[in-house]
Amino acid sequence: MALISVDRDRDLMTVEFQGLDKLWTLKSRLEIPLAHVRGATHDPGMAREPKGVRVGGTHVPGVITAGRFRRDGERLFWDVKNPDKAVVIELADAGTYDRLVVEVDDPRATVALVEQSIARG
Amino acid sequence: MVMDMGRPRAFDTDRAIGTAAALFATHGYEGTSVDDLVTATGIHRGSLYKVFGSKRSLHLTALRNHLDHEIRPTAAAIADLTDPEQALTTAIASYDNGPAAGLLLLAAAERAPHDPEVAALVAEGIAALEDALRPSHGDAAPRLASTVLGARLRLRAARPIPSQEY
Repeated sequence: MALISVDRDRDLMTVEFQGLDKLWTLKSRLEIPLAHVRGATHDPGMAREPKGVRVGGTHVPGVITAGRFRRDGERLFWDVKNPDKAVVIELADAGTYDRLVVEVDDPRATVALVEQSIARG
Repeated sequence: MVMDMGRPRAFDTDRAIGTAAALFATHGYEGTSVDDLVTATGIHRGSLYKVFGSKRSLHLTALRNHLDHEIRPTAAAIADLTDPEQALTTAIASYDNGPAAGLLLLAAAERAPHDPEVAALVAEGIAALEDALRPSHGDAAPRLASTVLGARLRLRAARPIPSQEY
């Protein structure tokens, strides 16, 4: 489970990993400039996609996907145990990752928060 | 191996937007899942995210497309009619129609209250209808636009007439 928040003063989206997820993902948090965030989508079906190659982290198929993965030349960061609560965050190509797939407590609220923060004029 | 890098997009973006618009118009925004979009467009999930960014962004693009390719041409045709009755009848028959018929009405009901960008696009579509009715109805155009929107809404609930009636 991850906690996603937006720091408007620093124009950052932060993803904080809760409890043992720090261990599974090998990260405690990610900070992404809002300018590099292209959108957020609640997508339970994403978990059925092939994960590609694990670069760092934990992968127990059907149980947990956490950490860095590489697939079709794209760099993905996963932290999902329950696919029903998976949110896909698409990033611009400047950063470390192309896409984050993280489980959050309230997908609807998280998607609204992220999408409002990057509202296209 | 870098054979997948820089691979040209193997799909038609406009066609994907049209397919998405029809899905959103049929099932609503919430009722259309990314699974539905992936299946109907035949586009890989990763490519869908790469091109459109998010489901909301794809919905906004589909609505924008519907305004430009359906609502505006229809409005232009209505604006050419000077007979009030004919303009009104044509508007009721053709506004927010086409391959994604009802997308504007659905977006107004479902998404506009929570999404300022959707609300702005809906307002643009309604303003186009008002402007289209002005040549035939003058100052009554805003009121007639409401009549058209109401009639389109009622048409959605109209039961088809059974073909076999004794």
